[in-house]
Amino acid sequence: MSALLIKNGHVIDPANGIDRQQDIFVRDGKIVEVGKAIRAKADQTIDANGLTVTPGLIDLQVHVREPGREDRETIETASRAALAGGVTSIVAMPNSTPAADNQTVIEFVIKRARDLDLINVYPSGAITTGQQGLKLAEINELKNAGAIAITDDGVDVQNEGLLRRAMEYAKTCGILLMSHCETDDLTREGVMHEGWVSTQLGLPGTPAISEDYAVRKNIMLAQLTGARLHLLHNSSIGATQAIREAKKGGYRNITAEVAVQHFSLTDEECFGYNTNAKMYPPLRSREHVEAIIKGIKDDTFDAFTTDHAPHIEPDKLEPFQHAAFGSIGLETSFAVMNTYLVKKKHISLRKGISKMTTEPAKILGVKKGTLSEGADADIAIFDTGHRWVVDSSKGHSKAKNCIFEGKALVGRAAYTIKGGKVKYSLKA
Amino acid sequence: MPAQNVGICAPMRTDPVKELTKVRAGRDVSFFDLYSMDQVSAKDLDLIIALARRFREYRTHKFSLSAGCSLINAFFENSTRTMASFDLSGKHLGMDTTSLSGANSTSKGESYLDTALTLDAYNPKIIVIRARESGVPEMLARHVNASIVNAGDGWHEHPTQGLLDALTILDHFKARDLSGKTVTIVGDILHSRVFGSLVRALKKLKAKVRIAAPQTFLPAGVENFGVKTYYNVEEALTGADVVYALRVQEERGAGGFIPTLREYSKMYGISRKRMNLANKTAILMHPGPVRRDVDVHSALVTVDEQSHITKQVENGMAVRKALIWLLANRMDGKRKEPTRK
Ligand SMILES: [Zn+2]
Repeated sequence: MSALLIKNGHVIDPANGIDRQQDIFVRDGKIVEVGKAIRAKADQTIDANGLTVTPGLIDLQVHVREPGREDRETIETASRAALAGGVTSIVAMPNSTPAADNQTVIEFVIKRARDLDLINVYPSGAITTGQQGLKLAEINELKNAGAIAITDDGVDVQNEGLLRRAMEYAKTCGILLMSHCETDDLTREGVMHEGWVSTQLGLPGTPAISEDYAVRKNIMLAQLTGARLHLLHNSSIGATQAIREAKKGGYRNITAEVAVQHFSLTDEECFGYNTNAKMYPPLRSREHVEAIIKGIKDDTFDAFTTDHAPHIEPDKLEPFQHAAFGSIGLETSFAVMNTYLVKKKHISLRKGISKMTTEPAKILGVKKGTLSEGADADIAIFDTGHRWVVDSSKGHSKAKNCIFEGKALVGRAAYTIKGGKVKYSLKA
Repeated sequence: MPAQNVGICAPMRTDPVKELTKVRAGRDVSFFDLYSMDQVSAKDLDLIIALARRFREYRTHKFSLSAGCSLINAFFENSTRTMASFDLSGKHLGMDTTSLSGANSTSKGESYLDTALTLDAYNPKIIVIRARESGVPEMLARHVNASIVNAGDGWHEHPTQGLLDALTILDHFKARDLSGKTVTIVGDILHSRVFGSLVRALKKLKAKVRIAAPQTFLPAGVENFGVKTYYNVEEALTGADVVYALRVQEERGAGGFIPTLREYSKMYGISRKRMNLANKTAILMHPGPVRRDVDVHSALVTVDEQSHITKQVENGMAVRKALIWLLANRMDGKRKEPTRK
């Protein structure tokens, strides 16, 4: 079919402990060889000298908005944004319209992604019908249709009894359960992190314990049931402590992630009533951000995600209290990680890459996130020194509500390859 | 003391326009919109207060200082008192004023922004905005050419209230600032936009500030304003120079924060006995409308000579006139550039 040779790139493949200059030879969508000075006939050669070659990034939390809100984003536009960020696999959250609480939506997402052939889209199914938190969805049917996990992300199952049953049933079906941790009664009308900034802005806040409490509750229920639990978008000191304790206590069934904005930005972004800074969980104060970074360093957190949440402009031009929650982030996640963690010397680039490739692949149980010989040739090539200022009007997402708008970042995808084909290049 | 009813047609000793122009001395404020006391520098405050004192002397005198300019009151949240104050202030300056209450056509699905853009197309110099949600004036200020004046937004601020409070307190102590003075603020701090501007103004004036409220009414990190918090109102009142009572904002959902108004009144209501804990020269203030026998015991509201509540209302007109004139008629010829972000 086709052959691709990537020459002289600095290859970082955490799964195989590779962190040095190598060539990569790809044929028919698979990685054939990783080594020094490969001499092979290729249809296309990329000179990656000075660039960093990694497995394509895997994002565990993306809102593609299709079906139902194609005005905000589609599977196609989300995929193009992903490619521009070096992301080759995403998990699509189930809060579409209708919700992915039935086989039809799961099948639709899979078919649409396959037809587009841009990136791998793994749909997740809802835990409860309509994400209403009242009744279990047909979880086994969702799994059989191709759902990679179940989650009510966007909302949280509030009834502990039902959540317990959901975990037991998920275990029965052998499917991962992902929790958005929030305690409704503590969140109320909160629109940002409760603290000194919310007080200055006169905005109703959400205390961090709304998250802490829900995280603890989820861990306890997972321990009771033995379910495989993945904790979505952690952002607080208390959540970090709870997860660290559970892992130190030898509990192996839980994994946890951080959305990149929660280790890079604080609630001060809300000043000026910047509605792009409105998201859930909210951007928190400096102490929380520091605790999250500590949790990244000691591997309390396994993965980095975006929680890519596209919205149309009018939904963000509302008063802060009424504006929609969420920020887009597929095109900036690598750059944010590189700028705020690697360049600030909190972690190595290799560790950062691991949390965006190998680790999320493990969480999902998919054979991705590695450059092993024989693996699918999903590859990202980054220019880690590329300085740029985020201008979402030039982005590939349909939405422009980016919290990193106007910020200077370092590092950018130069090429993104999925299934051995170059699907994106910065210069083109 | 209640305002003396001087005849409005009493002859002026001097030419008011000349006098005002002399006080102003070609000066301008540093801001184009006013949505927070944070924007008001010490110099701005001096200028506004100096002018307000003059305007107060001239009472209802009709000027043509801002003739030919329009002022629109866009009150997305209904109010009568503040709207009347801005409206009359504009009229006294010779402006064409118009007021809309419940101003956005939300029932028709129109956003705040579109309403503001429509009003801006009428080319007013000033749009005064009151809104139920915090941040609406600041957000709209970025998009319109008119100067935006915040007349109260959500739980955030009400800067002209902060200015009139500053004027009232400074006048009472005949001082340039409030160093050495203690101001005790009692009540529903959390939901109070008045507190938001008052505390910022008081700290600019170097006052010591105490606040007294049940914890349910204290916003997170409020001590970062440089205030001392008390649950016990008696302790907070002892030795105070100013006692400032706030309204329990039931309409902003304060209901669930206290068991009953009865209990609140017993715990925090300002009674004669509690007022006596403050210094002898202390004054009592309240932004109005007072909930008699809840925030403040009835007899203290109007009769008591320590009460400055009606003085506050009068000063409100004066600072608004000063502010409107400064914003509508800049001497430096500079124009506001909307950022549209
Ligand atoms: Zn979520």
